[in-house]
Amino acid sequence: MQSNTSSKPAPHSSEKPDERIQRVPFWKKALSRPELGALAGTVLVLAFFIVAASGTGMFTPAGIVNFLEVAAQLGIIATAAALLMIGGEFDLSIGSMIGLAGILIAIPAVEYGWPLWAAILLAFSCAGLVGWINGNLVNKTGLPSFIVTLGFLFILRGLAIGISRLLTGRTQIGGIHEHMQGDWFAALFSGEVATGLFSWMAAQGWIATNFAGNPLVTGIPVSIVWWLGLTAVATWVLLCTPYGNWIFASGGDANAARNSGVPVRRVKISLFMFTAFSATIFACLQVMDTGSADTIRGLLKELEAIIAVVIGGALLTGGYGSAIGAALGALIFGLVQMGIFYTGVNTDWFQVFLGVMLLVAVLFNNFMRKKAMEAK
Amino acid sequence: MSKRTPMIEMRHVSKHFGSVIALSDISMAVCSGEVMCLLGDNGAGKSTLIKTLSGVHRPTDGQMLLNGEEVSFKSPAYALDAGIATVFQDLAMIPLMSITRNFFMGREPTTGWGLFKRIDWKRADRIAMQEMSKIGIDVRDPSQPVGTLSGGERQCVAIARAVYFGAKVLILDEPTSALGVKQASVVLRYIAKARADGLAVIFITHNVHHAYPVADAFTLLKRGGSLGSFRKEDISREEVLNMMAGGAELESLDAELAEFQHTDQEDQRSARPEAAPQNQASSV
Amino acid sequence: MAKMQQLVEAAVASNPDGLIVSFTDEDALGRIVQKATNNGIPVITINSGGDVARKYGARLHVGQSEYEAGKQAAERMQEMGVKKAVCVNHEQGNQGLDQRCDGFLKGFDGNAEQLATTYDPTAIRNAVVAYLNEHKDVRGILTLGTLAAEPMLQAMREQGATDMFTLATFDLSPGILQALEKGDMDFAIDQQQYLQGYLPVMFLDQYAKHGLLPAGDVPTGPGFVTQENAAQVIKLSQQGIR
Repeated sequence: MQSNTSSKPAPHSSEKPDERIQRVPFWKKALSRPELGALAGTVLVLAFFIVAASGTGMFTPAGIVNFLEVAAQLGIIATAAALLMIGGEFDLSIGSMIGLAGILIAIPAVEYGWPLWAAILLAFSCAGLVGWINGNLVNKTGLPSFIVTLGFLFILRGLAIGISRLLTGRTQIGGIHEHMQGDWFAALFSGEVATGLFSWMAAQGWIATNFAGNPLVTGIPVSIVWWLGLTAVATWVLLCTPYGNWIFASGGDANAARNSGVPVRRVKISLFMFTAFSATIFACLQVMDTGSADTIRGLLKELEAIIAVVIGGALLTGGYGSAIGAALGALIFGLVQMGIFYTGVNTDWFQVFLGVMLLVAVLFNNFMRKKAMEAK
Repeated sequence: MSKRTPMIEMRHVSKHFGSVIALSDISMAVCSGEVMCLLGDNGAGKSTLIKTLSGVHRPTDGQMLLNGEEVSFKSPAYALDAGIATVFQDLAMIPLMSITRNFFMGREPTTGWGLFKRIDWKRADRIAMQEMSKIGIDVRDPSQPVGTLSGGERQCVAIARAVYFGAKVLILDEPTSALGVKQASVVLRYIAKARADGLAVIFITHNVHHAYPVADAFTLLKRGGSLGSFRKEDISREEVLNMMAGGAELESLDAELAEFQHTDQEDQRSARPEAAPQNQASSV
Repeated sequence: MAKMQQLVEAAVASNPDGLIVSFTDEDALGRIVQKATNNGIPVITINSGGDVARKYGARLHVGQSEYEAGKQAAERMQEMGVKKAVCVNHEQGNQGLDQRCDGFLKGFDGNAEQLATTYDPTAIRNAVVAYLNEHKDVRGILTLGTLAAEPMLQAMREQGATDMFTLATFDLSPGILQALEKGDMDFAIDQQQYLQGYLPVMFLDQYAKHGLLPAGDVPTGPGFVTQENAAQVIKLSQQGIR
């Protein structure tokens, strides 16, 4: 049979492989990235508001921080949801976890005088446990994570209400701000960064003053830093680390991944834990920011996170997607959600507006991706 | 043929799933540099046998020996570490992932340390390209999705991956069943190459015509039991076919096919082995 | 809503001596209340829906007229010198909230707008800031519940603008009471929910025992809480009465 080899095209051993790698033009590689469509969608939505909200304060530094802050909170959970969805699973309990985590931080601190860092650690431990249970249930039963985590959507929300009614008789716990003084751990989740830079910019007259006569922006809210940081870390993990490769593999074909020696169970459990942690980060930021916790917090956030991830180009079936895409999805969401207040549209039409803009972004995203595939 | 210690050996292995006996008392041995063909019709227990060898299942009874030492695998990862690589029918390839990502799935080369440990993409791409060109597949861009490759090419990537990672035993589950003639021959040629490199190959198929040219020995499975192992020199293609199909069915077909088959086999002996898949009688 | 419908239906089916129900949605609950009154079960509505529940045979309503309360809030704000105002509605489609807002807009006679938001506190806070930056003549802000009041207060405090605006809200929470006491917030509208829980039970008890029932609706609100009476309200709220 070796006699036949000659009739096959010989391998191009004379060519150096590295040269062939470079033959693929950069722009073509960029076209095949999942976040391309989301980028196109973002540009479209931005263009819409630049026209529709022209002459308003939407694109002043304050306006930008305003919608970025809304995007940032969603972006934090969307990043984790993106990793989980690439890993082939859903987590519908994110929103309820936000509510529960807030309660778990507020009650020990306000009612029992715990230092805030201890309360935050408690919330993170409980989140880790919830993620671990979610992951194990999905692994062990083989049930769709959609169903398992739907159960936890109710359980966690119920726990938040039950615990807070049992221990305080209320569903809202305030007065966190008094406990934040001097707590280094809480400081990670509150306030602004680069305030010096902004006051300098204001002094230069680059930043206008607001309705109350203050400089419009005094710094970058820490939630935006968390968002960008998590997106960067998630992107690094996905693209550059073995663990990232395992996430793609687990979502692409769990069986094939397992047969190749990928610890699929561990990957999935860790991803569920990460979504629960991200919900807790969200809760920390919101509790420190508003100074209160409420059992209703985070309502429907799980759906918003999934929407952001899908706008970001991930497949609902797993194995494909990107953290940058999810960040862009969250950005589109933030833009649209805050943008309506600048367009002068009657806010009775808020949800229609939100839905239409998201749909347009997704359709455009889809269209661009198809174009890109054809170009290949 | 040789008195060497077999690379992999099964002694009286049985596997029960509850009351179902999937395998009973299977014994076989494969030395390095040998291709053992595992033949059997659907439901003969081939899949269970592979899964037992590759650590997916643990045998209910009996021993498995690797290079003369008894082994027991907790999971496929342990079997892989011990040098038993299995290329499953579903290929263990993920279409949406790039060639390089697939090639190194589960065993990524890293650089840096601690928190900054990362995949060495330059090296990974280079190795993937090299290994692919070794088997005659010209890859333009190692970051292109595996889904863009043909079935035979994908199969070769899977085998190349196993060989690259120092497999001592290579288990191939129906590697040619879904392929066209030309693609199957690419894979068969590559199997022969793996044997020449000193691997012990277990080649599972129900297609005798794919198996015969590359095999050194045959083990026939039927309804969970073994019909025995035979050296190639001790058994003819007809005999193998005969045993696989099993008495009654074949006898009824025999009258119709006898002449047809006879002439075909005459052709095959004179023709190059690669021509075998073109044979119409290949579907047994 | 569907769930509440089922709960009320189940309650009626158990054939009680009386039914106290928060009449939040006419379409969903009207039919069931009608069924209850047809079966001779005396029905008292509380909290919301007082204006329409009579149609279905409800005996009386204990609560505040949301519309009227919204209107009074507008009048109070205008007395305090506000020319233009905004009403933050964090749950459009909730009849009670919509009526509060409608009453407020009516009271301002075209000089007030509704700002619809989501539940999310960050979104509420940023929406208020965005709105005020676009409408610099607005000087009065009314929120329709504690959920929206706290983020709104936070936005004002961050900007040091609590004195620039007349701030008001429906409903009370410890945070709101504190803000009232400090003077950050100007007034809060309390529907005195304790009475809404207490009175109907007492009424029905009297009715079951002696056939006694007040002849008309009992308005428990709007009760206004301001800096003057905040301290007393705080004390009562700690006892769960306000």
